Amino acid sequence: MNIAVIGSGMTVFGELWETSPRALARDAVKQAVVDSGCDKKNIQALYVANMLSGTLGTQGHLGALFAEELGLSIPAYTIEGACASGGLAIHTAVLSILSGEYETVLVLGVEKMTDHKPEEVSSALMGAGSNEERLAGATFPGLYAILARAHMEAYGTTEKELASVAVKNHFHASCNPKAQYQKPISIEAVLHSSCVADPLKLLDCSPVTDGAAAVILSKKPTKNSAVIIASQVATDTLGIAERKSLTTLAATTEASYKAFAQASISCKDIHVAEVHDCFTIAEILALEDMGFVKKGEAGKRIGEGTFSLGTAKQCVINSSGGLKACGHPVGATGVKQIVEITDQLRGRCGKRQVKNARFGLTHNVGGTGATAVVHILRKESL
Amino acid sequence: MISPVKIWRNQKYIASRIGLIGKIISWSFIRVPPDGFSGQAPYPIAVVELEDGNRICSQIVDWEEDSLKIGLNVKTVVRRTIETTQDGVIPYGIKVKPI
Repeated sequence: MNIAVIGSGMTVFGELWETSPRALARDAVKQAVVDSGCDKKNIQALYVANMLSGTLGTQGHLGALFAEELGLSIPAYTIEGACASGGLAIHTAVLSILSGEYETVLVLGVEKMTDHKPEEVSSALMGAGSNEERLAGATFPGLYAILARAHMEAYGTTEKELASVAVKNHFHASCNPKAQYQKPISIEAVLHSSCVADPLKLLDCSPVTDGAAAVILSKKPTKNSAVIIASQVATDTLGIAERKSLTTLAATTEASYKAFAQASISCKDIHVAEVHDCFTIAEILALEDMGFVKKGEAGKRIGEGTFSLGTAKQCVINSSGGLKACGHPVGATGVKQIVEITDQLRGRCGKRQVKNARFGLTHNVGGTGATAVVHILRKESL
Repeated sequence: MISPVKIWRNQKYIASRIGLIGKIISWSFIRVPPDGFSGQAPYPIAVVELEDGNRICSQIVDWEEDSLKIGLNVKTVVRRTIETTQDGVIPYGIKVKPI
């Protein structure tokens, strides 16, 4: 498979009180169109990734809404898969090109979260969980905390190792001018931050974020573009109670296994990856479940700097700062991961550039692992 | 958010899940609750494996902080769940208590 990312763009991520969803979309899409160098008239379809607009803002029908806003009278679709909406929209757009129906399509991920009270956002996000979990009063930090405790019990993972994920990703975000938190933090700061859901503390959690990201995908690669060579999706049970294991996200394992097979490479070939670190434990699960490290070793290896800018031996994980520090506007995240990897492969990441990056990976998770989407990208050398 | 019809439909299921014995597989403590649970916070939640092999996600009631641990034996009970809304229908559901 060879689907080119010919243009990409994203807004600044953060608490953007003065910016509307429409303005976020205009900003990200304008950057992507300018970057692609192609005329907007060549875009044949629009895929909008969003999770919360209907629940929080009572606004559905986002395909038509953003087509109107962007001045595009073309087929438009909304794709929802919780926090994996962005990855799913990319996957759907890729399939639409592979089907032969379209040659050039636009994917927009957009989320506006800070217009609403934290408990409303927390409840709305629980739309991604099961009814049983909602009635138990569970939250996403709470559910990932249950996974974290199970991992600590099974493999001896420590709270300090969890904290090292946050420290690494804040360090990376300090090199990213579009990140929500551009301030490095210490292990102690994480360990002493207030407890949200034991054992997860405030600084173990990704923030509530506004933001948008956009990419233009095309059948035809252009000079110095990035090319999607694998796009795979897997699902698991909606709730965590129905799973055999609480220390593995089986959907991640399956989607990555299929993606590596499709790309005919292994995780040893990946130079830079954006993985779904909505909570620190989530990055640990991601690295283990995709095979970057053996089960139970991720926390230790991340703490040693194995995946950090400057000290990484093989692969830098979450060079953007990840969901943790770059921010997590849920529907935009999966698209933003493609934007970051494209920028890395095109060598335009400035201070956070991973040298000689040729293969990149994105890993986007919905809920507590009910959906996982994995993409593998290659630097195009025309 | 609360549908009286949904509550009515769930009654048989809830009745079938009362008095079952199980043990805690993993747990957490919710300190920042979602809408409708602020009156109960902070409260523990757990994934519990029942004797019939099924697992459920449930709030823990009648707990003591020092006793919460993986492997703790519990039994399912009926309790109020989310705070009621203007409809006035009180939603009940399954929670677990240590035994």
